[in-house]
Amino acid sequence: MRNLLVKSTAIAGSIIALSAASVSNAADSVNVAFFLEWASPNQISKVDKVYDEAMGVDVNWTDFSTGVQMTEAMLAGDIDISYSQGLSPFVTAIQQGHPLKMVAIAMEYEANDCFIRNGLGIDSSNASELEGKTVAVPLNTMADFAFRSYMSSLNVDTSTMTIVDQAPADGAKSLADGNVDMACIFGGNSSKAAGEVGTPIMTSQQKIDAGIGSFDVISVTEKFATENPDLLRTFLDVTDEANLAWEATDAQLAKVAADAGMSVEDTRRQMAGMIFMTEKQQMDKYFGPDGVAASAAAALGVVFSDSSDGAAIAKTIDSSFFD
Amino acid sequence: MLDWLSQERAFIASVIIVILLITLLWSILVGLRQATYRAKDQVFGDPERTLGGWYWTLSGVSAILLLWFYFSWGVGRAFFPEAGNEMCQVAKVETAIAPIKAALPIDSRYFKSTELIVRNTEQLDVLESNFPEGVFSETEKEELLNIIVSSRKIIGIFSDQDNQSLESKLAIRDISQDLDELTDKLSKDYTKFNPSSEGLLQPNWGTTRIELPLLPITPKGVLFDDISKHAEVLSQKFLKLRNNSAAANSIIEATKQQIKRLKLSNEAADRSDEVLKERKHYIKAVERIFRRLDDGTIFPPQALDELNDSIKDFLRAIEGAKGNLRLVQAFFIPGAGVVKSKTQCTEQGSGRWLPKPTDVVAKFLLLANPNLENGGGYKGTTLFWWDWIEIADLVSFLIPDFLIDLLPGDYGVHSEQGLFVPNYKDKLQAFAQGDVYLGVIPMLDGHIWDSLFRVLVALALGIFLGVPLGIYMGISRFFKSFFDPIIELYRPVPPLAWAPLILTIFGIQDDGKIFLLFMVAFAIMVISARTGASGTQLSKIRASHSLGASNRQILRYVILPNALPEILTGIRIAIGVCWGTLVAAEMLAGTTGIGFIENVARTVSDYELIWVTILIMGLLGLAFDLLMRLIISRTIPWRGKG
Repeated sequence: MRNLLVKSTAIAGSIIALSAASVSNAADSVNVAFFLEWASPNQISKVDKVYDEAMGVDVNWTDFSTGVQMTEAMLAGDIDISYSQGLSPFVTAIQQGHPLKMVAIAMEYEANDCFIRNGLGIDSSNASELEGKTVAVPLNTMADFAFRSYMSSLNVDTSTMTIVDQAPADGAKSLADGNVDMACIFGGNSSKAAGEVGTPIMTSQQKIDAGIGSFDVISVTEKFATENPDLLRTFLDVTDEANLAWEATDAQLAKVAADAGMSVEDTRRQMAGMIFMTEKQQMDKYFGPDGVAASAAAALGVVFSDSSDGAAIAKTIDSSFFD
Repeated sequence: MLDWLSQERAFIASVIIVILLITLLWSILVGLRQATYRAKDQVFGDPERTLGGWYWTLSGVSAILLLWFYFSWGVGRAFFPEAGNEMCQVAKVETAIAPIKAALPIDSRYFKSTELIVRNTEQLDVLESNFPEGVFSETEKEELLNIIVSSRKIIGIFSDQDNQSLESKLAIRDISQDLDELTDKLSKDYTKFNPSSEGLLQPNWGTTRIELPLLPITPKGVLFDDISKHAEVLSQKFLKLRNNSAAANSIIEATKQQIKRLKLSNEAADRSDEVLKERKHYIKAVERIFRRLDDGTIFPPQALDELNDSIKDFLRAIEGAKGNLRLVQAFFIPGAGVVKSKTQCTEQGSGRWLPKPTDVVAKFLLLANPNLENGGGYKGTTLFWWDWIEIADLVSFLIPDFLIDLLPGDYGVHSEQGLFVPNYKDKLQAFAQGDVYLGVIPMLDGHIWDSLFRVLVALALGIFLGVPLGIYMGISRFFKSFFDPIIELYRPVPPLAWAPLILTIFGIQDDGKIFLLFMVAFAIMVISARTGASGTQLSKIRASHSLGASNRQILRYVILPNALPEILTGIRIAIGVCWGTLVAAEMLAGTTGIGFIENVARTVSDYELIWVTILIMGLLGLAFDLLMRLIISRTIPWRGKG
């Protein structure tokens, strides 16, 4: 009995020693954050271990439920790269002086919709009638940003509106109940519910014409970018390859859907609304002179805080890791 | 005045901290002395023992405030207002040399070159053993394996010091000599440095959104700032450094040609998609490793030895030059120090998420400023102020519009001349809708008042409906049995679960929020009143009955006073829970209120604002509780003395 005790203690001790050793060797791996139910072509590379193979290190993928949590994990040193962090948590992090940088655009997608209740007879042509009405907006989110972009593009004075801070699900419900006249929504299910009783203020084409869009970024810690530029470069390279190889075939969709935790049909629908740009397209549109990345981040910063400094945010955008 | 207070917050904090320290020590002394006085004349467990003791309250409050000051770096800033700025300059140096450090075994165990070699060699081995059969021709296979062999050769050549070009050797030596110069500079006297006037004009630590002023404000800071600029240049030089060697160059050139040929041959013959894909994939994998090697970032270890020593000396010199800053950091600035990001220096650790008490007060004053045009208030509403409201709005609230619809006659229409003359019905309608001017009255307006209003109304409804029901449930078989299932069924459900229902039933106005709070308060009041009423001693009731008291009198003079202690305790609990539920209630449809501020602040992790709302709610809850204690001591002085 006593012997057993000694043995088990020794085994436990060596297990602890081993696990400690494996922790200290963890410099040989790269930790990437991503979202479930947010499909992207590089999930094929993720599943097939193309990243691990190309970078020569273990690539650990951890799923998060919000971009703010990604920021926190990056600050704690648990995450090196955040794939598809939303623009708003990124800008928030930069405003608070956190050492992160934006190195690429993960995907571009349509801006969140603002649904006007059917029966009011208001659309983009007479949007000024929205003045004096009640609007449900999840404040300080991308939907808030979209709302302000729509209103300024349609010349509607937001100071005359009653703006109610509501989560998307609640906003959709209030729109259906007739308590609000317009609801700005993000998320698939809430958008579907709001679409039953309301109509988006702008069509997809109108949004493109007005230059209103959304995008997710690939952000990294400054530490990782300084210490492992070669790994970061390879990561972006593999991502670019995955985007180029994307043809939305059934086999590809099935693989992505399985990894994203969605049905193939939902994945197809979601990805149809997304644009995955090549590095060259990103350079032209987002990172060149007058690029969208800097201007959108600056505009979003102003929504969050009156004292936001767009030039300071622009300094954290770094496209030098493209091959 | 406010500006002066804001600028001098470090000094003010230092005075407060000294006062707090004195208070803490003095109150502990008083407390201990009092304890020895009374030690002998009170029995353990005697409730009288908890009476009084203000000195322990004082020491508790000052201890918690001191802890707050300490962990929020408030103490550090108060007594060493320049420490943060100096730490920022040191952080600049650390950020500047990070690329050089990353290549050397300083924070890691191995040279970056060693890691690269190990990783790439492993990958080459894997590629070689996983050669896809039947995809490439024999000559192509030979060629590909040749590339892998060449890649290994390149690693070997780069690792051998003899092959290193003189040029690259000199470049490394240059960098280490420059570093040594910087090390010398660090150990020299820096007191003659003067901070720039621009630097001295910066706002103080923490007075603006940017926490730490970026430019140096002390001679020591100027030294570090200067060093960081030089170190930055050295780092850039180091990053451009390549291990050139003639021996490697010829192999690299030849291999590049080979890869090019292989890629061309992909397009030549026609192959099935499957085969083509596999070919491309394999060639790409080989090329990727080769390209990582060909840019000459692998150095022989001996080549970096000198640089390694220089860096170590440099890091030691930084620690030396920090001088007393090291002590300040160790004792007064808990956490991970300061980090320099691209645009600013920020506090890490508890300093990041725990704002300093003085900063929280400053933020509160900013919110409390009723001048909305000048950045006061929050999202267009003041914190606690008053405003003129039109009496007509109140009237329109009281008179429902449909009443006017019921009156005889029709509403007016515009005439052919395009004129509209309102008839009596239109005028009444305007009156009912508040479109007339009836004068104005002052009314409390602001986030705090709105929240207070919601809590108080809900509480009042909860008490006035809950207490009678509870008492009847305590004394009547019908009330107890009929209402028991309803109350007990809904009571354990968390208020947030009701939120979607309430939104649909009540809409987005105040009534929904009040109803949510009411449900919480109501259940507590019912339970406490019921417990109080059913706990009445039977002998008392029988005694009063035999003395000829009516049912009413028994209820009024026997049961109610007996239930009062429980009811008042219930109110105390209900107040606390109502404040606790406020955030959930104001999440339903946020327009104003403390919970609304907290909900919005959370989305952007604005810690100062979050702490302001936490403190407002905590202090309001405390104020109510103190009020309740006063009421309890006045109305039921007999409690606990029976």
